[in-house]
This record gives sequence, C-alpha cells and structure tokens, in this order.
Amino acid sequence: MLIIPAIDLIDGKCVRLSQGDYSQVKNYDQDPIEVAQKFKKQGINFIHIIDLEGAKEGKPINFPKTAEVAETTGLAIQTGGGIRTFEDAEKILNSGIKRVILGTSALANPKLVKDLVSKFGADRIVVSIDAKDGIVMIKGWIEKSDLTLEEAFEKLKDTGLEIIIFTDVKRDGMLKGINPENIKKVLNKGFKIIVAGGVTTQEDIDQLETLNVYGCIIGKALYEGKINLPNPNPKPNTLSKRIIPCMDIKEGRVVKGTNFINLKDAGDPVELGKFYSDMGADELIFLDIMATVEKRDTLYELVRRISENINIPFTVGGGINTLEDIKILLQNGADKISIGSKAAKNPNFVKEASQKFGSQCIVISVDPKKIDGKWKLFIKGGRENTNIDAIEFAKQMEQSGAGELLVNSLDRDGMKNGYDIPLLKAITSAVNIPVIASSGAGSKEDFLEAFEEANVDAALAASLFHYGEIQIPDLKKYLAKKNITIRI
Amino acid sequence: MIQIIDYGAGNIKSVQNALKKLGIESKIISSVEELRTDCKTIFPGVGAAGNAMSELEKRGFAQTIPQIQAPFLGICLGMQLLMESSEENETECLGIIKGKVRKFQNKPPTLIKIPQIGWNKVSTKSAEPLFKDIPDQSYFYFVNSYYVSPDSDQVSTQIGETAYGINFASAINKENFYGVQFHPEKSGEIGLKLLNNFCKLC
Repeated sequence: MLIIPAIDLIDGKCVRLSQGDYSQVKNYDQDPIEVAQKFKKQGINFIHIIDLEGAKEGKPINFPKTAEVAETTGLAIQTGGGIRTFEDAEKILNSGIKRVILGTSALANPKLVKDLVSKFGADRIVVSIDAKDGIVMIKGWIEKSDLTLEEAFEKLKDTGLEIIIFTDVKRDGMLKGINPENIKKVLNKGFKIIVAGGVTTQEDIDQLETLNVYGCIIGKALYEGKINLPNPNPKPNTLSKRIIPCMDIKEGRVVKGTNFINLKDAGDPVELGKFYSDMGADELIFLDIMATVEKRDTLYELVRRISENINIPFTVGGGINTLEDIKILLQNGADKISIGSKAAKNPNFVKEASQKFGSQCIVISVDPKKIDGKWKLFIKGGRENTNIDAIEFAKQMEQSGAGELLVNSLDRDGMKNGYDIPLLKAITSAVNIPVIASSGAGSKEDFLEAFEEANVDAALAASLFHYGEIQIPDLKKYLAKKNITIRI
Repeated sequence: MIQIIDYGAGNIKSVQNALKKLGIESKIISSVEELRTDCKTIFPGVGAAGNAMSELEKRGFAQTIPQIQAPFLGICLGMQLLMESSEENETECLGIIKGKVRKFQNKPPTLIKIPQIGWNKVSTKSAEPLFKDIPDQSYFYFVNSYYVSPDSDQVSTQIGETAYGINFASAINKENFYGVQFHPEKSGEIGLKLLNNFCKLC
C-alpha cells in the first residue's frame, strides 16, 4: 500500500483544517519544501499537496509553490485544489508534477476526466470524491452536492479513470481513526482507492492494508506525532531482481518473432542458454511456440540436454495441456513449467497442477491486450480473445496456486518501446506472487522502469539479447548503479 | 559415491547432473533397503511438507534417515524436514534439529512476495567447511514459502543467514547433518563449489 503524507497549502505555507472547515485552521507555519524533504528522508516517495485557497476559489493559486516542491525534492507529487479546466491540469502536468487531482469539476464534467486520461494516461489523473454520510461534498467540502457516492462512481465509470481518492469528511482531521464500513462501500467498484480522512494510528494502516486499498493519505496524525512513518530502514530484503533471456523454440531451434510473425533463426538453445548463463543470466525460459503432440519428443530431448549442461533454473512452456506433460518435463530436468491457454480455459487445471507438483514450479503466462480501456486475456499466441479480464485472471491464478506470473503484452510485444508499465503495475498490485515482465524491452532504461515503477521481480527479453543489442553484463552493471538489487 | 534419496518429491535429475559435472558418482535410492547409513547422502525435495513426510514414512525412510552416520545434506524441503515440525500442513518432521519450519509473512514494514523466488545472499562464517572458498554474501538460488527457525538454544546450528523480510537460517548443521534452503544444484558455479565441499567432508 502506498503511504502518502499530505500537505495543505495556504499562502505557500503548510496548514491543516479540521473537517474541511476554513475557520478551524491550524497553521504549522512551515515551508512545504522543508516538510517534503523531511518526508523524503523517512523513505516516502509520494506526496499529496492540496491548494486550499485554490479549492475555495475554483482555480489553482498555490501551484507555483507545488511545482517548486516537486522540482527541489524530486518527489512524485499529486496535487489538487481548484483544478477545473483542461488547461489548468495540462499546465500542472507539464510542470514535473506526477498527478493532478480533480474534485468538483470531474463530477460536473466527466468529459474533462476522459480527455485528460486519454492525453496523459490513467496514472496521472485522479478524482477525489469527498463524502459525508454517503453524500458527495463539493467546493472544498463547504457545500453538499446532490449526488450519492454510488451516483458519483457511476458518472466516472466510462472515463478510463483508474484511481479515486475517497475522503471520509467526517473523519478527516479528527484523529478518530478510519471507518472501515464506509471504506468497504467504495472498494471493488472497478477503481483503485486511495483512502483519506481519519488515518490516525498504525492499526488504521494495518487495517487498510488488509482491506487491500491502493494507498492512504495521512495528514494531521503525522504532524502531531500520533503516527510514525514506516521505518525508513525496514528489515532487509536482499533478494535480487532477475534478468531472464527467453528463447522461443521451434523444432529444437531458437526463433524470435516481432508481434509473433517474421520468425528468425537465432541459434541452438543449449549453446545460447549456456552462453547466457555464463554472462550472468539469472534464469532461462524456453517456449515451444509450435508445440504439437508429434514434436513432443524433440522438446523432451532438448530439455534433457539443457538440464545436463546448464545449472541455473529454467522454465519450459508451450502447449502444456495435461498433468502428464508437466510430469515428463519435470522428470527431464525442467525447474518450472509455464502454462498458457490451458489455464485460461480450465483454471482448475492450475489448481491440480500446483497441488500435484507444488506452486514453485507452476508459472502462468498471461497475454493481455487493451481493448476499450480494459485488459482482456488472449490465448493461442494472441490470436483469440477470451474476453476474460486479465487482472481478475491474475488474481484467480494466484488463488489457484500459481507460483509466479509471466506477464506479456500483446500491445507491446516486439515494439521495443518499453514494457507495459500500467499493465504490470495493475497486476503487481493485484497479486502477491512474483511477476516476470515480458514484451516491449528496447533499452536498459526500460528494465529500470519495470523494476522501479511496476515492482516486478524479473524482466524478460528475447531478440534484444539474441542480437546483442544489449549485453547482460552491461545491463546488470547499469541496474546495480541505479540501486536495483542485482546479482553480479 | 553419493546416495541421493528419491521419495517422489524432488528434482533428483538436477542434483545428479550437478554431481556428474563435478565428476562425482551418485546413485538414486528409492527404497529403504538400498539405503546405507555409512554413505554420504543428499536429500533433495520440493513440494509440500505433508506429502513428503507421508511418502518418507510409507517408504520407511523416516525411521532410517536419523540413523545415518555419514555427512548428510538436505536441500530446500529436504532441509526443512530435518526440523521437528512444519507449519505447512501442520506436519511432524524428522526431528533431527530442534526447531520449527515457519511461513514467510508479508507484513509491513517489509513487504515481500511469497514464494521467494530468485537469487539471494547468504552470510556465512568463514570457518564452515561447507562454505570453504565461497565468499561471504554469495548469491544462491532460492524458491521457498517456508523457512527454518531453529529453537533459541540451537542458534549454533545456523551456519548461513539470509534476509527476506526477516533474517532466516539459510544453512544449518548439526553433527553430520547439513541443510541448505537454497538449491546449490541450480546456483551456477558457486553452487557446484558448495556441492563439491559437501562431497569432500569427512
């Protein structure tokens, strides 16, 4: 869960209100830059800044100060208060601020949300819904609107929006804790929820964590020392991120296609695998892309040769249909088995396989493509749309006992313009098993982005490595320099 | 000659391949009649503790393994089964080393994914023969959701430590019994070195 400290600004200074009442201002009289720097030292990387004057006036007023905070501290900032036009939002988003928060304006004008999301992406736009007794509050919480919470969500449904900040106005600034019943009402409505209002103690944070909310905003409790930020030096975790070359196999040879066509021969799988292992690859994946029953023996023979010659872990996939397929591949020395179409058609198969062979050897390959703003699960090498929601599928696979997810992107495969970060983020925040990013890597920066932004555990590439466009030792040195935990 | 115990719960092949690379002969033992108590033994294992223990009991290994006198190496689940009990399926294990097998917890402040999959560092004491010529903080390959937690009066059995949300015992030793949570047979050159060290133990 993302923990987001809040800063409220009046006249360029930090203040706090109670229950949105402008007559109950507590002035902490601090420069927001100093405050933000302090948060940064405590391990925070996202801050919520509200322009209270802006909210009251209906146009951004303290925006230059906010941009200054972003620039000076390098922190990701979401900011709101009086942003009601496309031009205002655009100006702010172009100034180095990560995300804008729309309130009143969004509910009166869903088209504005839609336009902003389609221009800047769903990760940069958030709508704040403030509610008191189930009724949406507007204009800096001074006025009641005529909308219920339900109606407000309904209005935003088709805008492409993904993130909503839900503020329980009655709890805000009261240091009385959250009201989980009110929060439950806004979960599972198709949005990621950031909870604001009333987050007062570590128990509140733990409770939100259990509710599986996307983030929470903490204000007054932090300033008044009721809550301590998570320990900036948490117990260590030295597990390294993995770099995985993937070899597509056809009749015992390595091939790689762009968007699954134009196959090219790139060598002997065992030779290439050994080369990668010596170069420092952390793991190898072999996918039999033309898997047919008749050609199975060729694959078994190949798997045997790989396991005799290479002693780093390797995954084998392609055309896995029966428990017997898995058994034979494991017996021939494969460490993990990647299952694709079969898992989509029969989720129970994954349950059986993980019970029989253990979760640790079951990898589920997920092939999503974005259609009308939603990720749909495709099968058969991207030729058939199952109409299953890919994120829901990922969750289902975790419950069925999958040990790991290999997430492709049909929109990015072979494009070399970066991994599909929004997709990967959506999946890593939906599940708690390791995720391997696949499809779209074209540069070292793309790997860094996947590890830093999308919290993936491993990143995979194929032709990029096969044609020597990126050398694994160089890539690993680069990532280590960027503070990614990597095995060198 | 190394004997490898096969009870239907391990990637036996990989262990055998790794030994073959080192030029060490091995024999796969699948019935208790073939098991020798004076022969170096590798005890691999993946999968669930409950199933594994009932297999070991069914095949008679559960009674014989504690009597083995020669160096013995449990790998992954094979290490966990050396303890008294496991939280996984509430299983009673071999009880060779006092302590429990616990599940990783994904709790703040350190959020971790479960299972742990990948290369992690092992801190070792330099004088341990199993880690001879292996630098402290070397990376080994792990795949596990559970970890070994020796009882507090057994701390001296811990010969390797790894951090994944908590610091846990990634290598243990009591008398002739050794256990490693990682997979040396899948840990590249450094893993081969560890297996070679094991094979040279007296």
